[in-house]
Amino acid sequence: MKATATASVDIIRVDGLTKTYGEDARAFTAISNISLSVKPGAFNTIVGPSGCGKSTLLQIIAGLVPATSGEVTIDGQRIDGPAPDIIGVSFQDAWLLPWKTACENVEFPLSLRGAPAAGRRERALALLKLVGLEAFAHHYPDQLSGGMRQRVAIARALVQKPKVLLMDEPFAALDEQTRTRMGAELLRIWEESGGTVVFVTHGLTEAIYLADVIHVMGARPGRIIERIEVDLPRPRRIDMIGGEYFGRLRNRIWDLIAETGP
Amino acid sequence: MSRLRRLALIAGVLAFWELAYRLGLLNPIIFGSPGVIVKAAMEDGVTFLVAFRLTLGEIALAVAIAWFLGVGFGVLAGASEGLARISAPILSALIAVPLVVLYPLLLAWIGLGPNSKVIFGVLSGVFPIALNTLVGVRAIEPGFGRMAQAMGASRRQTLFQVLAPLALPAIASGLRLGTALIIIAVVLSEMLGATDGLGFWISYHRSLFNTGQVYLGIILALLVAALANFGLGHLERRYGAHR
Repeated sequence: MKATATASVDIIRVDGLTKTYGEDARAFTAISNISLSVKPGAFNTIVGPSGCGKSTLLQIIAGLVPATSGEVTIDGQRIDGPAPDIIGVSFQDAWLLPWKTACENVEFPLSLRGAPAAGRRERALALLKLVGLEAFAHHYPDQLSGGMRQRVAIARALVQKPKVLLMDEPFAALDEQTRTRMGAELLRIWEESGGTVVFVTHGLTEAIYLADVIHVMGARPGRIIERIEVDLPRPRRIDMIGGEYFGRLRNRIWDLIAETGP
Repeated sequence: MSRLRRLALIAGVLAFWELAYRLGLLNPIIFGSPGVIVKAAMEDGVTFLVAFRLTLGEIALAVAIAWFLGVGFGVLAGASEGLARISAPILSALIAVPLVVLYPLLLAWIGLGPNSKVIFGVLSGVFPIALNTLVGVRAIEPGFGRMAQAMGASRRQTLFQVLAPLALPAIASGLRLGTALIIIAVVLSEMLGATDGLGFWISYHRSLFNTGQVYLGIILALLVAALANFGLGHLERRYGAHR
């Protein structure tokens, strides 16, 4: 609701992105000629079958993997490498440094930039509060559950106040109940912190439940086959998942993906 | 209680050893006895302590150099796909070389004295340290590197603030192995050709059948190994346990 209503200039523009691995006869096209745009403040999901190149797409948008051709622009800035000041990234694994506490892990990106210790501690604690972990600030990663570790990773991704948050299947390794709860938590965090999110998943329910806009991908080669605006009110509620609209949307996406083959 | 029992056990063994020696049950040249060792310590204790200090210094220097070079190279090579692929098999091969055959050459090039011993020590320890470090860095999940990259870490920051600490458990076990090899190498080189040091005096008294002095030297050499083992065990427990 809020995202489509406040539509203005795109914050993310992806133009004709292609990624090929290898050369000549053995060349493998991971994604082919992908273009998409994302409005500021919107929650976007990218959904597709495994092997459709959705993670590759996200990593190119994040500047972590170079594209073979095409270009990515975020907030008017051409992306050709990591841009931690405007892009926060989180992955399927939290990748927390095991010898640092939750708080120190969240501070880490700031310390890499040489930010003063006092200010970054304060900022990290504020973010841990946002993700509901203030009581665990001084716990080490091995003392936290999988869901908690992902929250720390999200706090760390947000610590530099990025314009966009790119998430690569961040809840895929969690059990279903935790995943559902984390989805609701993420929406709350997103609404409170007010950024733009691009969230890659292979879960249809997750993709619909979270999104303002769904980008559906097909495989071989990876490409966008449909852009769907989700017409569900916010805040989202778990019971919407059982609703008629939700079910129809789910079937439609399933058919789209199934058409492109296994 | 258990400490008391352990002390009693040691005292018992020593008493039994001494008794068996006095009763003439043991060949005096092979076995010596606690009393003979004490006597040797009173006669040549100062010489051995001076030698002990020299050997300890050489070992410490060799350890410092081998750690620095081994860990440094291992981290750099481990972080680079190409360098790792080239250097890992070379390091494995170098570890398999019986370096002791090179010692006479080293003596010819560098001459008798601490330098040749230290260099021999470094050569004996540096390759396993480098290989362990390299393998440890290679074994780190690539996700950590990608994460560091996404957070804006420079190559140097990634290397020293993310990858090297993650490899610490592997590095620590490499240091333990390498250090043990250095101790062996330095003492052995003193036995093979040197004019001073613990190994030299052990070898010297062995040729004179001074069993007490030989045992005294062995005890001091074991003490070096025990000290190193204690320190490294501490290091491993401190840094090797995360995750």
